[in-house]
Amino acid sequence: MKRDVAKMYSLPLQIHYCKKCTISNQRPRITFDAEGVCSACNYAEYKRTKVDWTGRERELVELCDRHRRNDGGYDVVVPVSGGKDGGFVAHQLKYKYGMNPLTVTWAPLLPTDIGRANLHNFIQSGFDSILGTPNGKATRTLTRLAFLYLGDPFQPFIYGQTNFPLKMAVQHGIKLIMYGENGEVEYGGDMKNAFKPTREIQDHDKHYFSGLPPEFWLQHGVGAQDIAPFLPPPYEQVVKNQTEIHFLGYYKFWDPQENFYYCSENTGFVPNTERSEGTYSKYASLDDRVDGFHYYLAFIKFGIGRTTSDTAHEIRDSKITREEGMALVKRYDGEFPKKYFHEFLAYCGIDEKTYHDTIDSWRADHIWARKNDEWSLRHAIWNE
Amino acid sequence: MAKVRLIARLDIKGSNLIKGMNLEGLRVIGSPQAYAERYYREGIDELVFMDIVASLYGRNSIREVVSWTARHVFVPLTVGGGIRSVDDATDILRAGADKIAINTAAIKRPSLIAEMARRFGSQCMVLSIEAKRTTPGRWEAYTDNGRERTGLDVVEWAKEGSRLGAGEILLTSVDQEGTRKGFDLELLQAVSLAVPVPVIASGGMGSTVHLEQAIRIGRADAVAMADVLHYGRLSISQVREAARASGIQVRQP
Repeated sequence: MKRDVAKMYSLPLQIHYCKKCTISNQRPRITFDAEGVCSACNYAEYKRTKVDWTGRERELVELCDRHRRNDGGYDVVVPVSGGKDGGFVAHQLKYKYGMNPLTVTWAPLLPTDIGRANLHNFIQSGFDSILGTPNGKATRTLTRLAFLYLGDPFQPFIYGQTNFPLKMAVQHGIKLIMYGENGEVEYGGDMKNAFKPTREIQDHDKHYFSGLPPEFWLQHGVGAQDIAPFLPPPYEQVVKNQTEIHFLGYYKFWDPQENFYYCSENTGFVPNTERSEGTYSKYASLDDRVDGFHYYLAFIKFGIGRTTSDTAHEIRDSKITREEGMALVKRYDGEFPKKYFHEFLAYCGIDEKTYHDTIDSWRADHIWARKNDEWSLRHAIWNE
Repeated sequence: MAKVRLIARLDIKGSNLIKGMNLEGLRVIGSPQAYAERYYREGIDELVFMDIVASLYGRNSIREVVSWTARHVFVPLTVGGGIRSVDDATDILRAGADKIAINTAAIKRPSLIAEMARRFGSQCMVLSIEAKRTTPGRWEAYTDNGRERTGLDVVEWAKEGSRLGAGEILLTSVDQEGTRKGFDLELLQAVSLAVPVPVIASGGMGSTVHLEQAIRIGRADAVAMADVLHYGRLSISQVREAARASGIQVRQP
């Protein structure tokens, strides 16, 4: 069954690329200015030239002062995976700003050895940690459903990743949750949060769950007890707890590459032994064997694969030029995640044909052309 | 015993000198020309330029940097990155390089090493190996700046390379690179004892003690430095002094 991808995600039918980076207007919610520059590039410029970072750090200190506890209790929840970004947030808060973080991890669907090792190293470097792991059987069912109906096997993980820290905050009576960067703002999306440090719980469904909260799957035969671990705490409890969600990227200049150096030094982080499929990097998003399929589906739906996303933000961060970015996109973007393919099929309980039929049902006509039995992008960036 | 050579290694991307850690997280450091000239003035014995995006673009963007350097810097210059053929090498040598380092193309087609050696002499053909530890005592050769596996055993590949005519081996430890935690001494020793040609230790230099270890334990013939020099953590004269103080023969400044 063919999907109307353009309509579902409100995608413009005329594809164009940002003049400064490699992102296209197919990224949901991204906007472009009159000069053809994307909101993420404009934000990067603003961040580098306009923000008073000394003043912002003062705001952070005030925030910490307001929440800091001296009775041994936790005063901030930091969601971490064991990677460089959460590691940076937790380590700074604890060892620079004197907070007592409870670090919270939502288990990957299919954890990698390197991801587990990095989480272990992180905990050993001085942190209390809670790992939330949902029932594997129910998670597999949700993953299959999410892949088949939503075209994103990662959705169950995202539910947990988004909701579990909130639940832990409420359960432990911790008011403050500190994330790293605000992806909507840093990577292109809804800019309403660009100029404030917090985010609203109400945005969860819209920005992270493609409008389909965990309850949606009840109609597909999943039990209430199966989705329970993925649900947020009741809204009244979030309010009663006076929960605040903040982004460190508002208070401190956010540079993922520098987080890598920081965590190598401070939290025992090690990069992968080889680059991740679909991109050139070996230090980001490496803890889940299902990762590659999440990025691959984004490539199918929007023509935006992992290399496009990685190069776009590295261009904004002045790590690479647009020319290098385009060359990298041409070389790596949309590479099929073959390393864990059969494992993924077995995990979801689907066969190869179902997989490919599902993938192809998400190819929009304005993005993809079929020529000589092969799919190709109608408007690849290196042809523009 | 031949004098131990002190080499500055400059990884170059486009028009920038860059530096990573485990060959990842590449920071822009500055202009390669400026750094090369400074190291020359401060008394470096040799320079190595690695164009790490050459294979990505399918061309050598480093040519200009090489020809500028050849006109301003008068120590042996080894250039690597994206060199696939004798013709590519000729072009870079004409631009002013003294030696050519090859990794990916030699792995794809080992006979290139012999062609290079026949045409330019072994002294000109440096086999560059990116070595990643797999199990204790074993290393796998990588390509693409430590990103792609090849399945080749490093020690076996080094032997094969020197048999085919490589005059020198530039041996980079992906695990130690950029960490300042010292060289992979086991790796250095395994390769140095396996091949008759000089081995350049690369990846991990953080203090002068590491240099001494690379020579005495690792049996390396030369030491490549990047991080300690680029970030100004050590000066070339400090390194030279320390080497001499520990009884290692180095060139007099």
